[in-house]
Amino acid sequence: MPGLQRRPLPVPGAGGAASGPRARLSRLRAPGAVAVAIAGATCWLALVDPHTPGQYGVCPLLALTGLYCAGCGGLRATHDLAHGDLAGAWAMNPLLVLAVPLVAVLWARWAARRWRGAPVPPREQPRLWPAWLLLVVVVGYSALRNVPALAPVLAP
Amino acid sequence: MSVSSTPPAHDGAAAPSAGQASPHHPQPQHPTQQHPAQPQYPAPQYPAQQYPAQQYGAGSYGYYPGGPVGYPRNELAVWSLVLGLVSLVLGCMYVTGIPAIILGNRAKRAAEAGEADNPGLATAGIVLGWISVVLGVLLTVALVVVFGMAAAFVQGLRDAF
Repeated sequence: MPGLQRRPLPVPGAGGAASGPRARLSRLRAPGAVAVAIAGATCWLALVDPHTPGQYGVCPLLALTGLYCAGCGGLRATHDLAHGDLAGAWAMNPLLVLAVPLVAVLWARWAARRWRGAPVPPREQPRLWPAWLLLVVVVGYSALRNVPALAPVLAP
Repeated sequence: MSVSSTPPAHDGAAAPSAGQASPHHPQPQHPTQQHPAQPQYPAPQYPAQQYPAQQYGAGSYGYYPGGPVGYPRNELAVWSLVLGLVSLVLGCMYVTGIPAIILGNRAKRAAEAGEADNPGLATAGIVLGWISVVLGVLLTVALVVVFGMAAAFVQGLRDAF
């Protein structure tokens, strides 16, 4: 009964729900490209050590104001994670360490949806809280990292 | 994009006639299609169907009885605004500034297509994204120039002494 009145939104770029192996592969192009890009960047960071100052340039915010933003230590944390050094990565950027499994799960869900090719059912009230949550987390984390009392835990 | 997607509520009287039965005449179909063996209980099973939230199915009736129901692409503008704000906080501004511009433009198109009602948020996201991208470019250029001058100055000192 609800199916009679429900019209699906198109999956952007999915090209319909064709189920042939060629259609599946073409739908997986975007998740595959993202995975290759992340893997390539991680390999680069694993080989070229960002712990050396100036290896990847300087952060304009840190150079001009001396403030740590939410991304500070992100390259070093990625390097440490790629070398299996979880404690070192946590010391550099704990939020990035926490975000890695979340991003992996979101990527897997995205790729699985593209693999199935089924259109996304419409949502009469779109979910807005993840965006606001991201804003609060990033801004709050950026602010707290610069509090001297919390610096041993949060600052790189 | 706009043809197959869900129109806003105030277009509901005209739009559903394209691909489905008119929402004003759903009742006669149920006894014949879904319950052919029980013709003695046709109507009382669906009391809520008299005022359905027409094109959004059973999930939405009762939540917003009088107000506008469903702008399914509203999240685009919110994501654009959030990424634009985040890019002002981040040191590397392009990372979220450029997606904020892209998502903001998509949100504006969705608003024109009637799938979103928050084009103001989209504009804010686009403006913030552009501010952060321009600021990021300026800061990067300034830093390169300053460091280059400092390196040349140090080199000149070494050459002099």
